Amino acid sequence: MPTFVHTDKCDGCKGGDVTACMYICPHDLMKLDTERMKAFNQEPDQCWECMCCVKACPRQAIEVRAYADFVPMGGAAIPLRTDTHIMWTIRFRDGEIKRFKFPVRTTPVGSIDPYKDKPPAGDINSALLFTEANKQLPTI
Amino acid sequence: MSEGTFGNPEIVEIETDMLIIGGGMAACGAAYEAKRWGGDDVKVTLVDKAALDRSGAVAQGLSAINTYIGDNKPEDYVRMVHADLMGITRDDLVFDVGRHVDDSVDLFEEWGLPIWKTKETEGVSLKDGGKPVRSGRWQIMINGEGYKPIVAEAAKKAIGIENIYERVFIVKLLLDANEDNRIAGAVGLSVRENKLYVFKCNTALLVAGGAVNVFRPRSTGEGQGRTWYPVWNAGSTYAMAVEAGAEMTMMENRFVPARFKDGYGPVGAWFLLFKSKATNAFGEDYATKNADMLKDFAPYDTAAVVPTCLRNHLMLKEMKEGRGPIFMDTPTAMKKLSETMTPQEVKHLEAEAWEDFLDMCIGQAAVWAGMNIRPEETVSELMPTEPYLLGSHSGCCGIWVSGPEDLSSPDEWKWGYNRMTTVKGLFTAGDGVGASGHKFSSGSHAEGRIAAKNMVRFVQDNSGYSAAFKADIKDITDEIYKPVRNYLEHKDKTTAEDINPHYILPRMLQMRLQKLMDEYVAGTSTFYQTNKVMLETGLHLLEMVKEDAVHMRAKDLHELLRAWENYHRVRTAEVHLRHIMFREETRYPGFFYRSDFPDLDEANWHCFVNSRMDPESGEWTMMKKDWVGLVDHGH
Repeated sequence: MPTFVHTDKCDGCKGGDVTACMYICPHDLMKLDTERMKAFNQEPDQCWECMCCVKACPRQAIEVRAYADFVPMGGAAIPLRTDTHIMWTIRFRDGEIKRFKFPVRTTPVGSIDPYKDKPPAGDINSALLFTEANKQLPTI
Repeated sequence: MSEGTFGNPEIVEIETDMLIIGGGMAACGAAYEAKRWGGDDVKVTLVDKAALDRSGAVAQGLSAINTYIGDNKPEDYVRMVHADLMGITRDDLVFDVGRHVDDSVDLFEEWGLPIWKTKETEGVSLKDGGKPVRSGRWQIMINGEGYKPIVAEAAKKAIGIENIYERVFIVKLLLDANEDNRIAGAVGLSVRENKLYVFKCNTALLVAGGAVNVFRPRSTGEGQGRTWYPVWNAGSTYAMAVEAGAEMTMMENRFVPARFKDGYGPVGAWFLLFKSKATNAFGEDYATKNADMLKDFAPYDTAAVVPTCLRNHLMLKEMKEGRGPIFMDTPTAMKKLSETMTPQEVKHLEAEAWEDFLDMCIGQAAVWAGMNIRPEETVSELMPTEPYLLGSHSGCCGIWVSGPEDLSSPDEWKWGYNRMTTVKGLFTAGDGVGASGHKFSSGSHAEGRIAAKNMVRFVQDNSGYSAAFKADIKDITDEIYKPVRNYLEHKDKTTAEDINPHYILPRMLQMRLQKLMDEYVAGTSTFYQTNKVMLETGLHLLEMVKEDAVHMRAKDLHELLRAWENYHRVRTAEVHLRHIMFREETRYPGFFYRSDFPDLDEANWHCFVNSRMDPESGEWTMMKKDWVGLVDHGH
């Protein structure tokens, strides 16, 4: 299901060197055409359809079109993600629409304080991780 | 240093104490643990070929955490892993994951990962006694779309973003000039700038995932990107370990997941949570019908959960004898469940079924939408995939490591620091650790933490170390940038630059590799069968692929990334092939068959197969290593 970019919606992230989709794609697929200032998928048959770029696009300019080599035309799965939830629109080939909403996170983005209220480093020679201070580890 | 150009990169040298190669679950766990133990005294640097928020196998999300011990005993986890992987796993490593893994899961929940709870304990965290919704004995259900960004945030905060290099692809480990068999650093290319990064380190953690697209995939058009495991996992962990001279273990093992056809969507929730059955074309429950076949693979046939490869073995019989397609009977399962449910509960059930895909395999949802498949009305086809190499799921190939020191394991299993490879200072975790599967996301995170603590100890014990490279950096630069130079030198010699006798496209080299692995090394087209002569033929072809790898071209940095990924795939393929050739039995029916040795041979082969390539000469040594059980496996 390679990604595609709607020409009228993409603004090339307003001229930054790296667009949001380029920044996030785990497989280095999204690329900015610097003449048109539009992003595109430079290697569609390597797309894992993880939708990381679709979720990251500030203009909702990216969608996916199901793999043409085995999926009949017309269906779609479209996400709309906030910091707490994701809303999915599933469009069937026959036109039926289903919507699902799921939580993605219970804490505010950026709120993790990794070592707050955690034990200090203990005995480096023990088998305990630092958060397991005073725990009795089982052995065999 | 002058600014680099395409073909002549700027060399950027960075010194650190602890280098983390990779950005997935193990890497993030390592970063989190290392900084607490190392404090300001130990510099920790993480290098990721993508962006940490969405890299590794959990980039897309997950709908379940497959390893959470909870009320179970770690010993029982050890027994399950041992049986699923047909009796050859390291009990010490598996037990170690089992006794630490829940601590990582508790952290995930604290950081913000939504974990499903039973009705009675709704809203109570696991740490405070909340009971998770289990889809199986070891699995718990989550709303996991945001799993990786959450785990990445903790890692970033722990070591600081100034110590994280994104879009830098490490392609080679560097050994020490003065001390034999000791890690000294690593080198990687930027996929954004004309820069080559040379890292000097005291210790390195090699956690760059498993191997995907080594074999020709079932979908060879656009759909070749729809791999089951992430398409960006290029075998870098195994290839770089091999080339550094690390001892490998169980590299003959592979994973062939039976999944929803084409989309490769997860079946775990359907089998375990929704109690769905799989049938052949004629509605027969083939698992029951063919159960007698498994007696040939005793004692593993009587395991509490039938091993994954044996379940494939039953399915393949139906397919080979013409009773396919194999169907997952979702309508019957949903009908049965809904009989005792309110309409609202049925709606919730339907949402759960879709979320299972949408959290971790959106492509499968698109296949269903495109084919008008509604699980409550329509059955779906199942299909075993092309083979994958990994050490964290239902597979156990990887690197041979030293284990925990406080268990009653043989001395040969604890020669050094926990999770250190046979190369001094080189550690691994997650998909990198061999003979220890079923870690999944949570266990990989915990294992990264175990390794990291021991790496800090290593740094403290080796505080006077100063890295000096055995290899010449100019030679290494020339080697890494060879594909770019091949392109620049020859591109104008033909009228169409993609067809040029002076070089080969990384994509075509990958196709050559995939074709030979599929046809000779037990891919899908032979129903996963091979024999000695096929393997020898495959190796002969593979040697020529290796020779031609130096002729790959790269017309831009993106293609240079692909060239080196495919180089790693080739090395991974080689070690896989050599191990299959050495193990003269059929240990994993359903994953692959040695048709010249079709039986399980417990007398001769209930042992680890290890290998080492001498980094100087390129000579391979294959070895058998004794298996020892640390818990009672009942046989």
